[in-house]
Formats: sequence, C-alpha cells, structure tokens
Amino acid sequence: MRSKSLLLIAVDFLIMFAGLGIIMLGQYPKVDYSPIPWALGAAVLGIAVQLFLIKGRFNDDIWIFPMVLFFSSVGIIMLARLKPILCVPQLRWLIIGMLVMVLVLYFSRQLKNMMQYQYILGICTLVVLCLSLLFGVEIGGSKNWLVLGPFSVQPSEFGKILLVLFLAAFLSDHKDMLKEARKKFLFLDLPPLRFIAPLLVIWGIAILMFVVQRDLGSALLFFCMAVFMTYMGTGSKSYVFIAMCFICLGAVVSYTFFSHVQVRFNIWLDPWQDAVGQAYQVVQSLFAFAAGGVWGTGFTHGHPGLIPEVHTDFIFSAIGEEFGLLGCTVIMMVYVLLFYRGIMVALNCKKELHTLVAAGFSIALFTQAFIIIAGVTKFLPLTGITLPFISYGGSSMVSGFIMIGLLLALSKKERVNGA
Amino acid sequence: MGHKDIKKYILQCSVFMMGCFLCLFGYIVYLQVVAAPSLLANPLNTRGNAALSIVRGDILDINGKELATSSQPGQRSYPYGAIAAPVTGYLGEEIGSAGLEDIAGSDLTGQSRQLQMLGPIGQAIQAGRGNNVKLTVDADIQELAYEALGSNKGAVVVLDADTGAIIAMVSKPAIDPAEVESSWKDLQERKDSPLLNRVTQGLYPPGSTIKLLIADAALDEKVTDLNEVFKCTGKLQIGNEYIGESHGAVHGDHVTLEDAVTQSCNVTFGTLAMRMHGKGLENAFERFGFFEPIESEFHESKCHLPQFLKLGDGDTAQVGIGQGETLVTPLRMAMLASAYVNKGKVMVPYLVEEVISPTGLVLRKASPQKWREVTSPQRAGIISSFMENVVENGTGGAAAVPGIRVTGKTGTAENAAGADHGWFIGTAELPKRKIAFCVIVENSGGGGAVAAPIARQIIIALKNR
Repeated sequence: MRSKSLLLIAVDFLIMFAGLGIIMLGQYPKVDYSPIPWALGAAVLGIAVQLFLIKGRFNDDIWIFPMVLFFSSVGIIMLARLKPILCVPQLRWLIIGMLVMVLVLYFSRQLKNMMQYQYILGICTLVVLCLSLLFGVEIGGSKNWLVLGPFSVQPSEFGKILLVLFLAAFLSDHKDMLKEARKKFLFLDLPPLRFIAPLLVIWGIAILMFVVQRDLGSALLFFCMAVFMTYMGTGSKSYVFIAMCFICLGAVVSYTFFSHVQVRFNIWLDPWQDAVGQAYQVVQSLFAFAAGGVWGTGFTHGHPGLIPEVHTDFIFSAIGEEFGLLGCTVIMMVYVLLFYRGIMVALNCKKELHTLVAAGFSIALFTQAFIIIAGVTKFLPLTGITLPFISYGGSSMVSGFIMIGLLLALSKKERVNGA
Repeated sequence: MGHKDIKKYILQCSVFMMGCFLCLFGYIVYLQVVAAPSLLANPLNTRGNAALSIVRGDILDINGKELATSSQPGQRSYPYGAIAAPVTGYLGEEIGSAGLEDIAGSDLTGQSRQLQMLGPIGQAIQAGRGNNVKLTVDADIQELAYEALGSNKGAVVVLDADTGAIIAMVSKPAIDPAEVESSWKDLQERKDSPLLNRVTQGLYPPGSTIKLLIADAALDEKVTDLNEVFKCTGKLQIGNEYIGESHGAVHGDHVTLEDAVTQSCNVTFGTLAMRMHGKGLENAFERFGFFEPIESEFHESKCHLPQFLKLGDGDTAQVGIGQGETLVTPLRMAMLASAYVNKGKVMVPYLVEEVISPTGLVLRKASPQKWREVTSPQRAGIISSFMENVVENGTGGAAAVPGIRVTGKTGTAENAAGADHGWFIGTAELPKRKIAFCVIVENSGGGGAVAAPIARQIIIALKNR
C-alpha cells in the first residue's frame, strides 16, 4: 500500500515530462533542452524523497508529498509555457525546496522542541515582519521584498510559518487564561488586556502591511490566519467578532485614506469601467476563464500571455484558459485533499500545541489558495499573493516546503510516554 | 478546556473554509459555463483569434487584392503595410488584435465560438484553413489617399452614400501591422498614436464643418428661414467675449443662410446657435445620431459633446461654429455629409462585403442597412445645394471636378495642441454611385487649401470605378 504512493509520484513527473515534451515539440527545430537535466534531477530527487518518506522514520503521512509534487509539476509546465526563462529557476527552487523539506524532517525532533519557546517565536515573528516594513524594497508594486545581495526574499512568506508557530505556542499555553479569566463587556467575553495584546499586535501588523507595503494579499492572509488560529485555540466567538470589527474598521479607514485601496475595491465592484486601464489585468483574466470554457483551449493553445504578470499571481487564469473548468476542478480538488490530509494530521496529534501547528499550516495553505483563486476570478477583490507551489517564486516555494516538512514531521505518531 | 474542544473548533474552521472553497468553485463553474459566451462576445476581448494550428484566411479588398495573407500557421504578412493598417488592424500573441483581424477574427480562423467552447474536440474537427474576408475597401483608393496625405498626420474616409460601404479608411501615421508586435513598447510611448485608427477613434473639434448640421437644425427649429439677411461685421460680441471670423474677414450686410454656408460665416452661425439655445442644439445632435453608438465592424470612440443645457451664451455660440468642447470622429462627419446626398438617410457604415470559404463558397454577404433618417428629403436637398455652392463659389473650390456634382464644406478647427486642423467633408455624385467623404489633415491650417485637393484626387480616381 505504502509503496503504491510511488505511482502517484510517477504520475506527477509524467505530467511534467509530457508538458515539457509538448513545449519542446512546439519549439522544433530550435529546441531549448536546458530544463531537461534539472527536470530529471527533480524527478530523481522526488522519488528519493518519497522513498525516504515511505521508510517512515520521521513521518507517517505519505500522501501529502505526491500532492505537493503535483502542484509543482503543473506549475513548472505552466511556467515553461508562459515564461520559459523562469522554468529552470523554478525547477531549481523545487529541488532546493525538497532538500529543505528533508532537512526539516531530519531535524524534526529538535524543531518540535523549539516550538515551545513562544516568546522567542513571537519576537522572531515581529522582527521578520518589521524587517520588510522597515527595509522593504518595492518589486512589482508591493514593497515587501528584502534584497540580500543576489537574492530577493519575501520575508512575509517565512513570517507565515513563524506566525503559526507563535500563535500555536501562545494559545496552547494561555488557553485557560484566555478562556476563563474573562470580563463581561456588553455581550462580549474578554480576557484581561495583557493576554489579548499579542493578538492585537499581530492584527495591527497585518493592517500596517496592508497600508505601508501595499501587500493586500499577505495582509489578508495574515489576518485570516490569526483569526482562525485564535478561534481554533479558544473557540471564543468574541475574538472572531472583535477581529471582524477590527478588519471592517481597517478596511473603511484605508478605503477612505488610501487611493490604492480604493482602486482595488472599485476594480472589483465594476472592472468594466476602466477595462483597458487599471482593471486590464482582471478583465483579461476573466476573458481567459471564458476562453477556457469547460474543456479548455488545450495546453499551449490559449492566449494567457495577454494577462500581465500571468506567471505569478495569475497562473490560475492560465490554467483556467488552457485546461478549462476540468483543470480548475482538478487543481481545486487536490487543494481540498491536501487540506483534508493536513487536518487529519492535526487531529491525530497527541499534543495540543502540535494539533494547532498542523491545523495552522493546513489552513494557511488552503486560505492562501482560496484568496488568490478568488482574486483572479473576481470573486473577491484582487490581492496579489502566490498560488502555493504553482506560482513562480523562490520564497514561496521554500516556505511552502518548510510548512509541508513540519506538517509531515507532526504526522509521526508518538508513543505517549516517549513524547 | 481539553484537547477535544480544540479538535472540534478545528473541524468548525475546516468546514467553514471548505464552504468558502465550494462557493468559489460554484462561481468558477458559473464563470466558465454560464458567463463565458457573453465574455467571449465582449468587444474588449481580443483573444477570439490566432488559433496557432490554423492558416488564417486572407483579407481581400473589393477587387480581390490581398491586404493580409498567411502561408502557414502563425505567419501573417500585409502587402499594403501601413497603408491598409487602419483597416486590417494587427495581430499578436502577446498584444491581442485590433481592426478586422480582431473583429473578423472568428471568420478568419474559421472557428465559431461554439467550436472554441469545445476545446480539444473543436481543435480536432476544425478546418486547416480559415475563411477569406472580402472587404468593401478599394486598395487603390486607400493607397492614393494615403499618399495624398503626404507627411501630414490625418485621416481620410470615403463611404458609398447609398449603402454605407467604406471604400477607403486611411489614418496617418500608421505602422505596418507586421511590425507592431516587435516594437510594441515604443509604439505605446509614441506621442503621435500610430496605432489609433483616426477615422473611427480620432476625436477632433469639427470646426466649420458642423455648420451643415447647424444650418439644418436652424431650419428645423424655425429660428431662421432661407430669406433672412444677416449682418456680419466680422465680430460677434457675447458679453465680454467675442467670436471673430477667420483671417479677419467681414462678410458684409447681406448674408443669407446660403451665403453664410458658402463663406463659412462664424457670426451668422454663432447667432443661430444662440437662437436655438442648448435644447435646440441637443435635439439636432441627437437627431443626427451623435449620441448613439454605431454597431458595426470597427471600434468607435464616443463623440464628446458638451452638456448642452448647461452652456452659457458664449459656449452655445462656440458649438455653432464647431469649437469648444465638441469632439467628433471623421467617420461621423462623413456620415453627416452622406445624409445630404442620400435624401436625409444615413446607412450603417460597414467593411466586410463577403466571407468566402477556402473552397470559394460565399458564406455570408453584406446587406446594407439604414442607420437612421436624420433629416427630411427637402431639407437635405437645400443643404446639399448650399454645399454645392461651397465648391462652386466658396471656400471649397479646390475640390471641384468638371462634369461631376461635388458638394462640400471646409472647416478649420482650432485646437490647443498646435496649428489648426483642416477639414473637408462632402459628397460627389459619380456616374455609378454617390460617395461621401471626410478628409482631415492635422495642423495644416485651413481645410480649403490642403484637405479639399485630397478629396478632388479621390473623386477623380473613383470617377469611372
């Protein structure tokens, strides 16, 4: 049974090689073979990693990794088709990501112990998020990049991981305080301010990211994660209510004072008003989905190139155009399956802390996919974040694999006495 | 509180997120199945095109000359280059498409929307070659008009007044469509908008050419008649402002409406506009269809008209001489002229004469349609005779062709950007058909000197066609 999961890995790489093959046939006679060695490397490494997972010294879940590789394969063939120069870098990031994941698994015991140091984690979260607030460089409209020599890093991608870890540690440690030492205020049950303060700080930073860095996507994601984590940790609807008030207030204030927020919102309300100007991207994305229809135009037969920045935020539109509703359904279903496996890992954890961490990561990835898919289809206002494991992006790829690594590490069933 | 509770809350959150995801999925189903046909039909959608495995059909002129042709999938050449660029438009994987490449895209690829919706199945049953599209455009006239504009910027459009068929549609500067994609970035930044089809999308103040509409409106509103005599002192004082005649001309004490058209008398038309007030002018522009978009085979810019009811006297008078906020496209002015030679009727302008399958079968043939009745046959006759007088005795003399009844109206449009634009609009009754035309030459000064001779060349060339 366990070794059959290798079959899934084979399917993933079949998708990748079939896709690359189609593109190379299209290039004939001037074929660019450069992605081949990297793709082979990724395939070999992928199989090796799965064998390592099947051995099960550090984990018990063997189904998550094939799903992640499925996303990566789809991402790579879409990149090879949309932005051929980014195909090799993305393959490189995939390989780095897989190696990082193995490292995380290898050091899982130490990492699990580190999860308990809530204040250190809290400070790290703050530092990482403030780094980009203070030293952020603008790339592609969002001021959320750190430039370190030849590398550009998006700290918010790694901030996500720290945020989940910090909130999980904080909540599992203080849940009794948060739950019981409460004061009645109107119809809300509130704990003393010092317990809720860290949550307020996180929400505040999310709003700051929103305003200062113009990074609406990460801001929304952080906010949702903080609210989900708080609810999962305490089950208190009061927090959710406060959070909702907080975000409504934040939204109204930023809509009133900041033009870029207004622009985003107005585009969402009526993209046709400025369809060739500021709403061009969203309108083109809608056209892409329409062109795809049920069956899709077929791989390499669509025109996703008409959407600016299609290879990062809008990669789902390209999938919608070339693979149609069928392709969209498959991708979304695999996200649901990944989420399901993640939640199963969470529910099987013995420690509350681990339960919260695993649930946090699962919900973070799922929410991220939801926010960007909803954005490019104009279901919600567009907020630029990556589609996990599919969009181009090194930070996003590596941080995704770290999350998966930790999730897998938590899937290892512990004997209670040995924990 | 125990571990169990946390698991319960996790499940609640999961169910909530799953619910959100399900809604999103339902929305995507709606988008790709229910909303898709209307999105595909949206005029802004430029991707109904360029199926890579298909040899695109040719775009032919009325005599079968190739304006755009393909020998293999993905390859496209334009024998007439920039000359026919406003007609053919361009096509590119990254840049979408414009002109007929866009609008006749599904004919040229031979793919109907229904076929496209079938995706891979549609690809399996599609033909290897798209249909040819034969236009109403005459490539020789197109070339002649292009050359006649010389190094000037501007636009020329020639219509068949009886049918609305567009015989020539020239816009300058233009770019060879084959080069558009490779120089896309530079073209976007160029100040002289070479990708703009000035005929249907260029917005200009109409200048004195609008006097044809004002004269018609003044007779319709009965604010004057053919016998009234106006006085022109060369200046029309309105409060602190005044409207003057161009070149300081004074048209004297005995100016009838006909004289006012012939001499292009600003004082008379400023006066008439003020007599009609905003409401009367609005009715006139409404009657001539300036508020109504044309549904046809080109993308049109909406004419920009002032808010008539809010205009002061000075601005009302400016409308009467075609200055101020009013901005129109050359096509609209050609259509205005066509009404007077066509007994008050304006036809829908169109470009595609026939769609022909690769085997030579005519799949579709154009059927000329009336757009609207803008004025009565009697008044059309009166204004037409005024216009004839403009060419015989007035500012449009340079357009006269012996043996042919040519009518016209010159215009000189002041604009903030530089020297005046010269207009000439009019009609000609050729032996075989009646044509209407509009010539605008940007920054060339008066229309009588530069634009009218271009119209003359076109009339001579079309005389026996």
